[in-house]
Amino acid sequence: MQKRPKIAAIATIYHKYSHTQHIVDRFLEGYGWNSRHHHPPMDLVSLFVEQVKDNDLSRDRLERFPTMKGYPTIAEALTLGGEELAVDGVLIIGEHGEYPSNEKGQRLYPRYEHFMQIAEVFEKSGRGVPTFNDKHLSWNWEWAREMYDISQSMDFAFMAGSSLPVTWRTPSIDMPLGVPVSEAVCVGYGGVDSYDFHALETLQCMVERRAGGESGVKWLQAYRGDAFWEAYHSRLWSRELFEAALCRSHTLTPSRPGFNNPFPTLDELKEIVKDPIAYQYEHNDGLKSTMILMNGLVQDFNFAAYIGSSDEILSTQMYLPMPPARTTLANFFSPLVNNIEQMFLSGEATYPVERTLLTTGLVAAGVDSLFAESARQETPHLDIAYQPTESSTFWRT
Amino acid sequence: MKRIAVITTIYRYLSHAQHFADRFLVGYPKEGSWRRPDMKVVSLYVDQKPEGEQSEDRAREFGFSVYPTIAEALRCGGDELAVDAVLLIGEHGEYPTNEKSQVLYPRHEFFKECVKVFEADGRAVPIFNDKHLSYSFEKAKEMVDDGHRLGFGVLSGSSLPVTWRLPDVDLPLECEVEAALMVGVGGSDPMDYHAMEAMQCMIERRKGGETGVAAVQLIDGEEVWKAGEDGRWSLELLEAALSRSDTPCGLTDEDGRTQDMIGNGEIYRLVENPSAYFIEYNDGLQATLLMLNGAVRDYCFAAKLKNESVPVSTQFFLTPTPNVTYSACLIAKIEELFETGVAPYPAERTLLVSGTLESCLTSRLQEHVRLETPHLDVEYRAPAESQHARW
Repeated sequence: MQKRPKIAAIATIYHKYSHTQHIVDRFLEGYGWNSRHHHPPMDLVSLFVEQVKDNDLSRDRLERFPTMKGYPTIAEALTLGGEELAVDGVLIIGEHGEYPSNEKGQRLYPRYEHFMQIAEVFEKSGRGVPTFNDKHLSWNWEWAREMYDISQSMDFAFMAGSSLPVTWRTPSIDMPLGVPVSEAVCVGYGGVDSYDFHALETLQCMVERRAGGESGVKWLQAYRGDAFWEAYHSRLWSRELFEAALCRSHTLTPSRPGFNNPFPTLDELKEIVKDPIAYQYEHNDGLKSTMILMNGLVQDFNFAAYIGSSDEILSTQMYLPMPPARTTLANFFSPLVNNIEQMFLSGEATYPVERTLLTTGLVAAGVDSLFAESARQETPHLDIAYQPTESSTFWRT
Repeated sequence: MKRIAVITTIYRYLSHAQHFADRFLVGYPKEGSWRRPDMKVVSLYVDQKPEGEQSEDRAREFGFSVYPTIAEALRCGGDELAVDAVLLIGEHGEYPTNEKSQVLYPRHEFFKECVKVFEADGRAVPIFNDKHLSYSFEKAKEMVDDGHRLGFGVLSGSSLPVTWRLPDVDLPLECEVEAALMVGVGGSDPMDYHAMEAMQCMIERRKGGETGVAAVQLIDGEEVWKAGEDGRWSLELLEAALSRSDTPCGLTDEDGRTQDMIGNGEIYRLVENPSAYFIEYNDGLQATLLMLNGAVRDYCFAAKLKNESVPVSTQFFLTPTPNVTYSACLIAKIEELFETGVAPYPAERTLLVSGTLESCLTSRLQEHVRLETPHLDVEYRAPAESQHARW
């Protein structure tokens, strides 16, 4: 029998509805999966938490799960207090917690710093183990690239990203593998350097399946406020795709009182959305993708693209059961944890980390473009080509 | 262009009439585009007009008339039937309840008014009846029989059978179902009806098709858990249904944790007054609806199929308020009925559920006795093609 892998979790903070709580709790408590309350066949044995505040749950979890020990440093969490790496997998959850922001508004989560301490233990021990990094690799492109390069040179499985690519879809469809895609949009919500990343991952997990696979990105330009509406009017992105995405939303803000689900006119859109944001970018193979944040209008992530030789529209929603308004559990973390489990068991990432390397660079380019008053950013460094997995990896069972 | 009469109890924001009828006025999302039905609402009858109701506003804006009687609405004020379809929404509004706590919505009365016009004018048109046909099986049966007798399409029921499913599964047609269980929440009789119809739309696909219900029993309180321990309903299927829930309460509400609510015993603590609705079908299938207020807040189903080790399970996804896009899924079916004259799935489903629910509530009233239900020998076949939102 295969021995149960030992897992270390390296986190910024552990409170209710933090990503650490969503991810680590699923390893400790199990979660609903395929008609069972599933317990991952592995043991989360060590926990490092950088910030412990009044709302902390790590102490409760350490007490209730004595097989998990808390450690004061990342190195000790990985060596279990010894000299050498003593775990078989690592979770890096650098989301939430109090960290400063830079002048561009990026929250300086210490994912890179945590990763580098982990890599140091790997280096000293002469081996690396599968590692999952929650969300984008780093706010800083150079650092993200370094993280990726280290994982390649040390040859350990590395996975990262958002729950959006793996959650439920309504409808439950995927981009057909190898189909031509001429344009894609995602209409979502949320802030810059936070939910823009989720929307970019939504786009990328779909378009990477197109004919030829992912070819990398040449340039990106961001639009905000009036510049957004100018771009909208000059049809820089397809209005038809934008509307198709809205037609997948379950949370369209009613544009008229007394009506629960009307479709907004353009004037109503402008009234509802005070601060629209778009990142448009061109892939090396000519595909144009546009990520749109429509705060006030929707509270979900919707995708639409022209596919095939006759530009048929394919659209869906990546559905997030989001607490506390709609649910009590953020169950989109269940398929994410399930994919992580598979990596820990097999030693192979279930989908390519290059996707998240690219979206990390796209977030940074988007932030830079907004900071530079919408100046187009050339992105030769995002010359990241990769192939998708053949089979779909989103939640379908 | 098809002409539609709307016959309803009340038309106010977030009432069923508002979000159903409005979709014929302003369109609705369907398969990734905004669908504007090639149909026109030409008349409206509304039973109750409290302050703030919307019927006159809608009539003015969308150019139709509000009539004081159902017959006039169907004849648009003229001498004969002047519409091609009827949207009958007898939900919401102030109506009395009976001793079984059933709200006495006048769906049967409204329906019969329509039938009178059909008979008098020598022409019948399709009727969609929202939710269960009637609180009374006898009345419900008369409605379905009228449809067959006069040859007009009748579609009825809840949005749950046609909404998105998480995951997107249906029971394979002609599968052998060993046991089925549904978890629901909310009050009786509105929400137990929705849950029961959701279960019915799954198990009607079993081998041999629907055969009708032989007996029912409704039990409440601690007896429900004891019945589970005794194997009268399956704990394995409850675990399977709960594995699909996004809304466990208690400890999850407190600190966000996932939980095995059966394993940790929380379910027994959280549900103050559980209810089990036992349904014995004529072909021997046993199905159970558990109403578990306090434990979860969504609607999940599980079934054990012959020769399958893992139960099939899914959540009927009730999308958020105020869009309630699940009702758009039902509108697409209503549009199909109005366009073709043929119901996309049989009204017998809703007839059977209407009667089964009524008998369960009678069991509750008669000290939870098991009631034989020879009158519920409603047989029908499910459509081969799945009817829920998939595209």
